[in-house]
Amino acid sequence: MTDLLLFQLRRVGRNRQYLFFTIVLPALFTVFFTKIIGGQVAAGEYQDVAGATMISMMAYGAIGAALGATIRIAFDRSSGWLRQLRVLPVPPAATLAVDVVVGALLVLPSLAVVALVGRFANDVQLGPGTWLALVGALEAGSVVFVGLGVAVGLALDAQAAGAAIGILGTVLAALGGLWFPVELFPDGMVGLAHAMPSYWYAQLGRDVAAGTPSAAPVLALACYGVVFAAATLAVAHRRPLHAVAG
Amino acid sequence: MSGGGDDVPHCRRRAAPGQARCMPATPAVRIEGLTVRYGSTLAVADLDLSIDPGETVALLGANGAGKSSTLNAALGLFRPTAGRIRLLGREPAAAVRSGGVGAMLQHGGLPSETRVGEVLALVRRRYDSPWPVDDLVATAGIDGLLDRRVDALSGGQRQRVLLALALAGAPPLLVLDEPTSAMDVEGRQAFWTTMRALAGRGHTVVFATHHLDEADAVADRVVVIGSGRVLADGSAAAVKSRIGGRTVRFSCPGPRDGLGGLPGVTDVGGDGDLVELTTTDAEATLRALLGSRDALPDLEVRGATLEQAFLHLTAQPTDLSGARR
Repeated sequence: MTDLLLFQLRRVGRNRQYLFFTIVLPALFTVFFTKIIGGQVAAGEYQDVAGATMISMMAYGAIGAALGATIRIAFDRSSGWLRQLRVLPVPPAATLAVDVVVGALLVLPSLAVVALVGRFANDVQLGPGTWLALVGALEAGSVVFVGLGVAVGLALDAQAAGAAIGILGTVLAALGGLWFPVELFPDGMVGLAHAMPSYWYAQLGRDVAAGTPSAAPVLALACYGVVFAAATLAVAHRRPLHAVAG
Repeated sequence: MSGGGDDVPHCRRRAAPGQARCMPATPAVRIEGLTVRYGSTLAVADLDLSIDPGETVALLGANGAGKSSTLNAALGLFRPTAGRIRLLGREPAAAVRSGGVGAMLQHGGLPSETRVGEVLALVRRRYDSPWPVDDLVATAGIDGLLDRRVDALSGGQRQRVLLALALAGAPPLLVLDEPTSAMDVEGRQAFWTTMRALAGRGHTVVFATHHLDEADAVADRVVVIGSGRVLADGSAAAVKSRIGGRTVRFSCPGPRDGLGGLPGVTDVGGDGDLVELTTTDAEATLRALLGSRDALPDLEVRGATLEQAFLHLTAQPTDLSGARR
């Protein structure tokens, strides 16, 4: 299946809009938010802000990459390509499996670029092992958003799916405290933030970076993962990959 | 058409010595008791169809006749309500996976953000012995399109690329669901020339169409489908003579005695003053009419539409298979 995998990677990699929103924008935001928020705290806390912002932006870029790569399934359905694949010697399960792997792989460039910006532009200092653990944890956790994207991509038609990429990414980032930390939220909205998988995803990163791993983010993400996987199976059962759009 | 037919695994219709193994008892397509129900709508009703290797068969029918449901079920795109389907002796999905079947679907399509050549290369790699690329490009008529972005293709070009994908594995069985629907007249002609050549190379070709002309020009067997049933099955000529009749219409306020006995007339109908004769020989019917009447006001002669023919056939399903043997 490596030929189909490379084929899909090339297609997504060619999409400039995708590259902008998943790599360039999170990288720019990392610098921008650090300057804004860091300018309002005491000088001794600036590096804490830089670290936290970098982790939030790694999460933001990864979520966008995972959703953007997988919700595209809706486009392949509406073009008839998924149906075409079904009458070619390609195992039906491989099509979906490839899209899941593509989603997970495309998270890595976002994570890596934002980490590099954090390290070299904002001078975030972590031990080599902690850097690896941070990227590894966020890569692993991104599977939750790959699952969400696959479910949404299977459920929606092309037009709605295009809108969903932007809306979901924005809602998860804004309400999950990725753009502005939850500490700045009014009391009423903190509960809402804690209901977002994006909050727990970033929290996983903060725990790993601080060297204080805890069970809560892992459990919360696992719950969301199960919910999204079940949703994917339910939608795929009702509306197989090769079903005609509309 | 360039050469290269020798690269295509196939079965010739007239078995030469040593090719006897190419005339297996296994039909290319075998459908038994196929029933497809969408909610309360019966799309295909207990349909039986068997197609031998090397045959070129048109499924002819109006929109909604059940052609696509039959072909999609045959390709394993959905599980029919009832019935048994074998392609090349296997379950549909297994036959597709083995590379024995190529298909052009009505709702098939190409992936965005790719070039034609990339898609073709991807598909060819899925087969153990793909059709040599130069000959494939020439056969499908996509010369000069390999570097073209898929999103920039015209409707006709897109159909030809989809044909190339269907042919990529040089499959013995080709299933085409209204393949020329997005093509202009020239495109259609070129397409059917290609199909005749493929049939000549021994491919089994099954296609759905609602154009009697297409069925007549390409198929050596025409299966007329209506209301999900086989209404007629026979050689193109036999079916055409049955459904290719003409209607003669005129106003006739007076008595209509004897109209049914005119030469060629198979049916007398019409509303009010209007008489509508269905005839297999319009000229003889007209000659007799003009000889027996002074005036034929509002006279019209036209080819019977397929819909009329189907109505006619629905009343009396016919096995014309004797005519094709």
